[in-house]
Amino acid sequence: MDYLVAILLPQLLHGLVFGAALGLLALGLTVIFGLLGVMNFAHGELYMLGAYAGIATIGLTQSFWVALIAAPLLVGALGVVTEVTTLRPLYHREPLYGLILTFGLALVFREGARQIWGGEIRRVMPPVTGSTDMLGMTYPNYRLFLLAISSMLLLAIWLFFTKTRAGILVRAAVQDAEMLDGLGVNVPRVFTFSFAGSAALAALAGLLLAPIFTVYPQMGVEMILLAFIVVILGGMGSMGGSVVAAFVIGITQSLLTLWMNPQRVAIAIFGIMILVLIVRPRGFFGREGVLE
Amino acid sequence: MKRTLWLAMVVTVLVVASLALVGGGTFAQSKVVKIGDLGSKVGVFEGYGKQATMAIQLAVEELNAKGGVLGHKIEIITEDDDTKPGPSVRKAEKLILQDDVKLLVGAVSSGATLAVMDVTKKHKVIHWNAVSCAEFMRTTKFHKYYFSNQPDSRMQANGLAKYILDKMGKRVYIFYTDYAMGQSDGRQFKTAIEKLGGEIVGVAGAPLDTKDFSPWFGDINKTNPDVLFVAFAGTDSLRLMTQLHSFGMTKKYKMAGIDCFLLQADLPAIAEPMEGFVQLNHFSPYNPDKDMQAFNAKYKNRFGTDANITSGSYDGVKFWAAAVEKVKSFDADKVSAALEGMCLDGTHVGRQCIRKADHQVVMDMHLYRIEKGKNVPIAKIAGSDSIGEPMVGKDPVEGFSWEIKKKK
Repeated sequence: MDYLVAILLPQLLHGLVFGAALGLLALGLTVIFGLLGVMNFAHGELYMLGAYAGIATIGLTQSFWVALIAAPLLVGALGVVTEVTTLRPLYHREPLYGLILTFGLALVFREGARQIWGGEIRRVMPPVTGSTDMLGMTYPNYRLFLLAISSMLLLAIWLFFTKTRAGILVRAAVQDAEMLDGLGVNVPRVFTFSFAGSAALAALAGLLLAPIFTVYPQMGVEMILLAFIVVILGGMGSMGGSVVAAFVIGITQSLLTLWMNPQRVAIAIFGIMILVLIVRPRGFFGREGVLE
Repeated sequence: MKRTLWLAMVVTVLVVASLALVGGGTFAQSKVVKIGDLGSKVGVFEGYGKQATMAIQLAVEELNAKGGVLGHKIEIITEDDDTKPGPSVRKAEKLILQDDVKLLVGAVSSGATLAVMDVTKKHKVIHWNAVSCAEFMRTTKFHKYYFSNQPDSRMQANGLAKYILDKMGKRVYIFYTDYAMGQSDGRQFKTAIEKLGGEIVGVAGAPLDTKDFSPWFGDINKTNPDVLFVAFAGTDSLRLMTQLHSFGMTKKYKMAGIDCFLLQADLPAIAEPMEGFVQLNHFSPYNPDKDMQAFNAKYKNRFGTDANITSGSYDGVKFWAAAVEKVKSFDADKVSAALEGMCLDGTHVGRQCIRKADHQVVMDMHLYRIEKGKNVPIAKIAGSDSIGEPMVGKDPVEGFSWEIKKKK
């Protein structure tokens, strides 16, 4: 019982907290994959820009809460400009073009951030401080807040995709954009809206995780690898799959650290991804044919 | 009018010419000797690198005010090594081959310093290490141009292990930063604690510049140690302590750490998580020792901030200058010979002597307990007791194993 409360429970909570935040990041990535058919390599940099936009807003307003609204809006606006000016001309070309473009965009965003804000590590003070004693353990309040807000956001996104017309249109575009175009829907606008939403989600994840991971130009590169694994495991293009996979990765990673060094856990996670790709290439909930 | 214009032009030409002559003459007469300041000027060890630069600057200003060294004005060339061995080697070669430095002070990261040692050995340049503490520097990697006044891991373990077991607890968990410095500290403390009859209940390494340490906390809690010994430095230490505290672990376990765990300047920002922490240090602005106080006053007067352990860089420049003056030459072989066994007054911790056998400065070690953001001295270990036997060319980790030996 002591082992369960003192050891397993905190680790499980770590996994849930990290999984929820990872889910936010991976969700945007999977939507863009569904729409464009390519992995957005610049997604990690949008996550990083969200954190920097947050720092800039906090600098101006002294408020994390204002930053939590402003950062996704700013990065979402950048997403609109990026989609219209760079991605849209490539929609009728091979997916490889989009892949190379997003790779280039990632470099531009990362080095741009380095030029503007410098290479040093920046700290974001958590808006919720202190710790809570519960079930015989002490847990930081900010991490509990992160779990709560990430879970609420994931729920809101699910409601958006299932209950609103805009959400249903995005899902339809993911399924069959040509058919949607034939039905008279302005598909380019749906694409722009989706890319902006995906960028805003990445930015939100970036700012929410900033008080834990700190902020620096390379931060997106480290997180995006994990987000790619989540998207592959969940099933390329499957939104629900990404959320499930994010929690699976978060909890697995956290529990495995009880028995092996966290550095080796990272290798184990890649091992799991390779295994899934061999046994079930479409991932947990992916459509047949995407990677088969 | 025309005459006045001509007169003005002639005067201007004369003034410009005389200024050029005076300037040129001064330039021609002043001789300059360059020294290199290499280390982490941004990133995880930024604080140490920048403070080391300030200490070097202070020494150079004092020496130049008295006419420099051998009639040469000293000029500092500062380079950032990105806290990585690769760039540190490139920058060291640049400092030596391009700038022709006669003394190289650095680096900060042990991995970088170990790499730079090959360069200073190859090009025969006096190399002073004032911050890095991996145990290979005065043993297997040692060379005749290398000198150090940073207590290495072996000295630190000799100084702190006994106190931990006597005063804090017998069951110790070692958590270290997984690169040259942390591995070295982990090995030496594990060896020292086991040798003194303590039990190491767990060891774990986290990569340099880890952002979230919480994945390691489960294993620490699982072993439930008396003492959590941490071998980290720089911003890693700041993050680690903040996170340990938010998980209630700074209150659950007694905590102790290495010499360079945290700079005094960073302490007030995390005073609460650090409360009660036992830290090894050879310098503290809160130590009543008169030499430390005198140096700190001087440093604070110049830079507006307290001095710290990186002030060993100040001594490096002063020792080198004294040796150069002694042999009346910048020749590295002659300077090295003069430095061997040399004693010097007025260093950042008073009088210091360099041991001839391994070029290590014999330094007293002080233990401090953090109280309200200040390093309060609690014990002193004489340098002769902590320095250990010279082991030049010998493997300091021979027979070592990370294996956890469970006590019945």
